Amino acid sequence: MPALLVMAAGCAPIPSSVSELPATVGSIELDDTPFYPQERYQCGPAALTTVLVQSGATVSLDEIVDKVYLPGRQGSLQFELLAAVRTEGRLPYQVDGTLDAIWRELEAGRPVLVLQNLGVAAIPSWHYAVVIGIDARRGEIVLRSGTDKRRVTRIRTFLHTWRRGDYWGIVVLEPGELPAAADRARYFESVAALEEAGRIEGAAAAWQAGLDNWPGDNVALFGLANSRFAMRDYQAAERAYRDLLEQRPGLLAARNNLALTLAEQGNHDAALKEIGRALSENPAPALERELRDTEATIRRRMTSGEQ
Amino acid sequence: MGFQRARGALMRLVSVSIICMGFAQAAPAGMIGTAYLLDDESRAASLSRIELVLARQDVGRQLEALGVEKAMIMERLGGLSNAELLELEGQLDSQVAGGDILALIGAVFVVLLILELVGVTNIFKSF
Repeated sequence: MPALLVMAAGCAPIPSSVSELPATVGSIELDDTPFYPQERYQCGPAALTTVLVQSGATVSLDEIVDKVYLPGRQGSLQFELLAAVRTEGRLPYQVDGTLDAIWRELEAGRPVLVLQNLGVAAIPSWHYAVVIGIDARRGEIVLRSGTDKRRVTRIRTFLHTWRRGDYWGIVVLEPGELPAAADRARYFESVAALEEAGRIEGAAAAWQAGLDNWPGDNVALFGLANSRFAMRDYQAAERAYRDLLEQRPGLLAARNNLALTLAEQGNHDAALKEIGRALSENPAPALERELRDTEATIRRRMTSGEQ
Repeated sequence: MGFQRARGALMRLVSVSIICMGFAQAAPAGMIGTAYLLDDESRAASLSRIELVLARQDVGRQLEALGVEKAMIMERLGGLSNAELLELEGQLDSQVAGGDILALIGAVFVVLLILELVGVTNIFKSF
């Protein structure tokens, strides 16, 4: 029973993969990070405004309150913080849940917004704060937290509270910037989310950065082509889809989008040919539906004489 | 009465269409988004447009019920990814809402006291 309670209170040792820092590490503190003391229940908006402004965005705390504060929950949801970063034209990226990942972001000049559970599993007290510094020698971490401009906490204590927040932490990137230690899949998911949020120019810059970092990467190339399409740069989109299809002729989603790109340029016959080719390659049912829809759209446009 | 009800229904219809419009802008018709090439979950999400519209309406209603001003709902929904919308649908209440540091002291004190009483003394080492 006591052992269970210890577990519940999160006092099991923190894995060394989480807590270890390279031996050469000293101390760092981003003391130019702005500070927005929180109002009651509003650590989410305060922490988020801090990292957004530090990334160069021009926002006020009041604007962010309107975007992320949830009165009925007296707090803010993680998803809504991510969404607000996107609507500010920035790219949110979830860092690895390790002290080293935080250190590396700080070195790159980016403070890390973290979710802590300052209570315990049974009586949670969820809190957002911003890590702005680490002093490895003294075993301390420095946060903008609540109404404290400079809260100094023992690293070990911090890691316990962070573990209870599932080691959730994000940085705010300017689209085109890569995280200090970019995980390919996670980075691409973040960019795809930015694209879905309709921030096309940001997504284009971020896909380009992905392509520079992972040359020839299919996902990045598809993303770049899609953003060119969305920006109505159909020639560039067509080139990118064709490049991609040369590498992977069986990528039917790219062929679907290439067909739309051709149709946008008035080349309906070539568009229908691409769709026909894709349909002949046994697409999965959901994809087949998409292809048929696209085909119908193109035919409609042809008969209505629209471009 | 009848007029009131009809007006209410009309308002709902209008707000739903506004929400749908926002969606249509984000994803051009027929275009398959980049998320399709990512994992299976996003792949499904990126293709089921009707489900997305429904999820969007549901999350919008939940935000409104939790006190978000109507004028802000569309903008707040606009930043969410498809996968996030689907995850939030009907589940908003089970999400963690980071809020207050100020209410903490009492709660932690009680827990520490209980842990001390049952003899789990090493809790203090971590605080």
